[in-house]
Amino acid sequence: MLDWFQHFGRFWIDLSASFGRAHLFLGRLLLSLPSLLVRFGLVVRQLYASGVLTLSIVLVSGLFVGMVLALQGYNTLVGFGAEESLGVVVALTLVRELGPVVTGLLFAGRAGSAMTAEIGLMKATEQLAGLEMMAVDPFKRIFAPRFLAGFIALPCLAAMFSAVGVIGGYLVGVEVLGVDDGAFWSQMKAAVEFGDDVVNGLIKAVVFGFVVCWIAIFQGSDCIPTSEGVSRATTRTVVYSSLAILGLDFVLTAIMFNV
Amino acid sequence: MPVAEDGSVTDALVEIRELHFKRGRNKIFNGISMDIPRGLVTTIMGPSGTGKTTLLKMIGAQLKPEKGTVNFDGQNVHRLGRRHLFDVRKRMGMLFQSGALLTDLSVFDNVAFPLREHTDMPESLIRHLVLLRLHAVGLRGARDLKPAQLSGGMARRVALARALILDPEIIMYDEPFTGQDPISMGVLVELIATINEALNLTSLIVSHDIGEAMSISDYVVIISDGAVVQAGTPEQLQQSSSEWVQQFLNGKADGPVPFQYPAPDYHNDLFSGDDSQEKR
Repeated sequence: MLDWFQHFGRFWIDLSASFGRAHLFLGRLLLSLPSLLVRFGLVVRQLYASGVLTLSIVLVSGLFVGMVLALQGYNTLVGFGAEESLGVVVALTLVRELGPVVTGLLFAGRAGSAMTAEIGLMKATEQLAGLEMMAVDPFKRIFAPRFLAGFIALPCLAAMFSAVGVIGGYLVGVEVLGVDDGAFWSQMKAAVEFGDDVVNGLIKAVVFGFVVCWIAIFQGSDCIPTSEGVSRATTRTVVYSSLAILGLDFVLTAIMFNV
Repeated sequence: MPVAEDGSVTDALVEIRELHFKRGRNKIFNGISMDIPRGLVTTIMGPSGTGKTTLLKMIGAQLKPEKGTVNFDGQNVHRLGRRHLFDVRKRMGMLFQSGALLTDLSVFDNVAFPLREHTDMPESLIRHLVLLRLHAVGLRGARDLKPAQLSGGMARRVALARALILDPEIIMYDEPFTGQDPISMGVLVELIATINEALNLTSLIVSHDIGEAMSISDYVVIISDGAVVQAGTPEQLQQSSSEWVQQFLNGKADGPVPFQYPAPDYHNDLFSGDDSQEKR
């Protein structure tokens, strides 16, 4: 019993300690961002690694999610004779919710885990210590470019996810199920607001990008420098990022659309 | 010669004074003090786990001690702000056990890395400097290889070239001979000695390969249990009257350092019938 209490206490102490370290880490990370202005090439390379290489999985998922939305939406709407609103249903679901959330989850799994593993291995093979000893700040050279790149990439990816999703919805709704072409687009155009829907969706994506990159880079640099430690850190990145995305999505939705 | 007859140092580049350090509950250093003489090859020896590598990290100010000071050329490295610390680190080269090469860069780019980070030299000049250093370690032909294609010994030589590129005043080697075949070991021993001589450096080696270390060192410090056991020239240590030093230098299995880890009496342990450990 006493053992149990001890474990429980140890768990919470460790958790709050790592929470504190994560915030100090974020502080230094943000302070290192201005140094990237003079070396934007570092960011571009990371944009390729975390953005461009995630593009294929995001586009394919977006297409299928859009097609499924059209199928499901049509089946419900047709019961009310409202199948012409299919465009609205597909576009709003994608732009407000699924675009940012699903892209965030895919990004955490594809790019976030890669960032953690890369940084963790750099720590395990003494590359980070080596940089320090060469008087190169790993925050400026390694962490900040990855952070900024992910932060830029995720909103772009989410926007492309939604765009491809709408095309997928169009293909299934209009070309296969026979919804009227003009009604599909014109109702969508009338119902989707730029400020309320598109911008709010992008704000979500920006927040998710911030959180996922923060978690991924922190877990990489905070891991125990062994192969087991790196694999655990990678798992933690995906789990924590996914939970953070889903939790924050609820909070943001409540603030943006309901209050 | 900056080392006196009695083994004391007269001209020190690095002065370590009363250093205390704990890792978890383990005391690593218990008020350790030593001097690293300028311009010589110094080796720190000691059993595994005595914090030799930790000591190098303290000198590079990657770790902070609880108490005590490390002075590099008169400056306390743990009191410096980040910018000044980085200025001091540019005067230090460190060779990590694994080489610590950046895996996404080629050999050439790894060696050029510090120059590109810290200077605005034109590429043509960088190329010259890099090729000079790579030639010195015998790897000019390997410039286009990636670190993954190098053997352990080659990786350490590339790392040595990189550590030398900013013309440091001191080079610290973390276990340079561990896990090397006899040929690469010989190459490294040769390189460390000639480079120290040719570039007028101070070299600090952490090692427990006694033969190699004694052959190239001008000054040897033996540490154990968080304190200096003895320091002096290799000759002074060979003649040491300390049984512990003799056991260590000659690699005897039993002596002041017992073969057995502290344990209850053997006879009692076997026949007392206490099976509490099996229950756990």
